[in-house]
Amino acid sequence: MSTQPLIAVLDNGTYFHHRTLHTPEFAPYFNRVIYARELDAAALADCDALIVLDRTNPELLMRHRQLFADFLAADKTLVVLGESNPELWLDGVESTPCPTNFWWWLTPGADSGLRLAAPEHPLFRYITLADATWHQHATFRLPPCAQSLVDIADTGSILYEEIRPGAGRLIVTSLDPAYHHGSYFMPATTRFLRGFLSWLQASLQPEGTAGV
Amino acid sequence: MSQKIAYFKNWIGNGPALFASGPFSDLVRVIPLYDLEKTDLSGYRALLFSSNLDQRYAVTQRDRLEAYLEAGGQMVCNGHIVRPFLRFLRLYEVAPYQNVETLRIHPAMPHPIFAGVDYEDLTFRRGVAGFYSRGSNPVPEGAEVLSTISPQRLPVDWLLNLPGGGRLLVHSGNDIWMHANDDNSASRITPQLMNWLQEAV
Repeated sequence: MSTQPLIAVLDNGTYFHHRTLHTPEFAPYFNRVIYARELDAAALADCDALIVLDRTNPELLMRHRQLFADFLAADKTLVVLGESNPELWLDGVESTPCPTNFWWWLTPGADSGLRLAAPEHPLFRYITLADATWHQHATFRLPPCAQSLVDIADTGSILYEEIRPGAGRLIVTSLDPAYHHGSYFMPATTRFLRGFLSWLQASLQPEGTAGV
Repeated sequence: MSQKIAYFKNWIGNGPALFASGPFSDLVRVIPLYDLEKTDLSGYRALLFSSNLDQRYAVTQRDRLEAYLEAGGQMVCNGHIVRPFLRFLRLYEVAPYQNVETLRIHPAMPHPIFAGVDYEDLTFRRGVAGFYSRGSNPVPEGAEVLSTISPQRLPVDWLLNLPGGGRLLVHSGNDIWMHANDDNSASRITPQLMNWLQEAV
């Protein structure tokens, strides 16, 4: 019998976090909602993964730098969505802002610049490149143990997975799906969350039980 | 009453350039949101809350915020109400999308904040609709509706004048001052808003 993973998520109390957390098809993935101001080690007890939603106030995260390091060291999964300045509260994350163009798609035949960096990765059984395409805010330097999943061509990674055997898994992206889904804006962000959350849960299943 | 306006930020840094270092930096004091509970609100002629507000926290400050309004204070709130942190607020309702007309912004009661604004410049940014608003924070009794959205004319911007002279302005969308640097008539809103907030005695 497989054990259901316990996924925690931080809530910064914004309207878009609220809508994302309460969207009926997504709510079942959020096994434990932690109000960001109340984050502590006790709140994370028994959790297998923690999701930091995009546009969480970095000041609330910077005070927990050691907590996040300890969480990863305990071989847990930490997911960091965009516009949350992880370079300020996680070791080994380096971010470079890039120009954000909300209107690139208006040009016929326009290329978003996004590429699947690892098309064979299990995540892409759940989402397509189009589901990860709206606009970009930043790229990341790829840490040594990391695999880029989505790149901006010739620029850098916007979504990567860093697996440190026995020492945690870190998934970082500069995409901001919760903000836009939570704002009823851009249907790709809803598709992204739908697929990403499903993949995340499946990837947390004990090996051999989820086919991931 | 003090000349200053308080902007409460839920982010790192010094706040939006508009208020921290730009044309309104002398008028506006940027305050971390979670310092609200220890801020003497009577020292400010207006309180500004962005759409990034932590509404779970704002609910804990409801009594103080209502007392501030009842004493004659002014408040501007943006975003979608998901936790009514004032008794005048109701839960946001998105306009069910049919076509671009769902997102068209319409003028309602004239108001100095919107003087000279072409509503095409609110409906569309570089030809794309939906940046200004995508729905409505329903109005309390007695509110003046300043702008609406969709063929159903749902309230987007509304103003509640309180008996003690207080004023509550609610914008159902992205921060109403986001258009300050637009290269069109939408840029009139921010300075006109700031002037209006300063006119109260």
